[in-house]
Amino acid sequence: MRISLSDVRQDLALAHEQAWSALSEPGTWWSGAQRRELAQTALLAVTEVEPLPPWVAVSTVEGRISASTIAPGAAHDAVYRIARHAATLTREWYERVTQEIDSLAFVELCGIVCTVATVVAFRRALDLEVPELAAAKFGEPSHHKPDNIVDATLNWVPVVAPADENAAVVQAFTAVPQTNRVIWAMADAQYIPDKEMVDPHWTRGTLTRVQMELVATRVSQQRECFY
Amino acid sequence: MQTATGGVAVSFAQQLVDFATAATEFDLPALAKSRDELISAAGVAITIDTAAVIANFEMMTRLADSTGARMQTEVVADRLVVAQAMGVDKVVSRR
Repeated sequence: MRISLSDVRQDLALAHEQAWSALSEPGTWWSGAQRRELAQTALLAVTEVEPLPPWVAVSTVEGRISASTIAPGAAHDAVYRIARHAATLTREWYERVTQEIDSLAFVELCGIVCTVATVVAFRRALDLEVPELAAAKFGEPSHHKPDNIVDATLNWVPVVAPADENAAVVQAFTAVPQTNRVIWAMADAQYIPDKEMVDPHWTRGTLTRVQMELVATRVSQQRECFY
Repeated sequence: MQTATGGVAVSFAQQLVDFATAATEFDLPALAKSRDELISAAGVAITIDTAAVIANFEMMTRLADSTGARMQTEVVADRLVVAQAMGVDKVVSRR
């Protein structure tokens, strides 16, 4: 039996649609054109059957991405590696990348990869077509920077204060609120709404909590994600 | 499967794990087969929501790994028994 897009519940479809559209819109630190370009690199990374190894920078391989990119090569390299080899990332790698890319721009870049990875994974799992990226929208990035950004112990990236009082994954994107909102809107629709996380019996009427955690654990194991 | 679920009977456990496994690998025939088996066993709505959870953790693993997320020591200790039962204590952090 074939599943179609019309079978997908509305809240989930909307979260994906909004996140996907945002890939081509001006962000906080990257323009719409840069975001779309980086999203294309993420798409390449997650769909290639024979990916580049983690130590090869995609910007150095002729023909893999455009020879003249709007976003810096280092950003494309980071996107590719996060998208396809996230389990290989180290603090040393992060520090090298953020010598070339501002740490808050890096956070937004991570959000772009996360959006591409999640929508592609959903569509592919159900044999649905991956949507096209919209044309880039004009406009400047907002450069909105919260006042209370601090270093964290539980993450490499800076976060909004107070640091380390919430789980590392919860605080990770807080320094770029626009990115944080998009990602957690998808998490609410794909998994469990934030306020329901403490309920071990929560269900939206399909999977039980235990079933969800079984699936989540298997994916995490496959991706070698220690967290 | 019983070991992985700590002896608790979980409906469609094998089909869920097979689908999650296939969805994270580049084996389209295995993905199609596991998807059809899950639809037959559990229906379309559960299959869609399973795909959503898979997608969510494709997102969350990248979020965690790219931002250097680490768990508080006390949380790791608390979860060790469950992790050992599921065999995921064998996962070695590259960090």
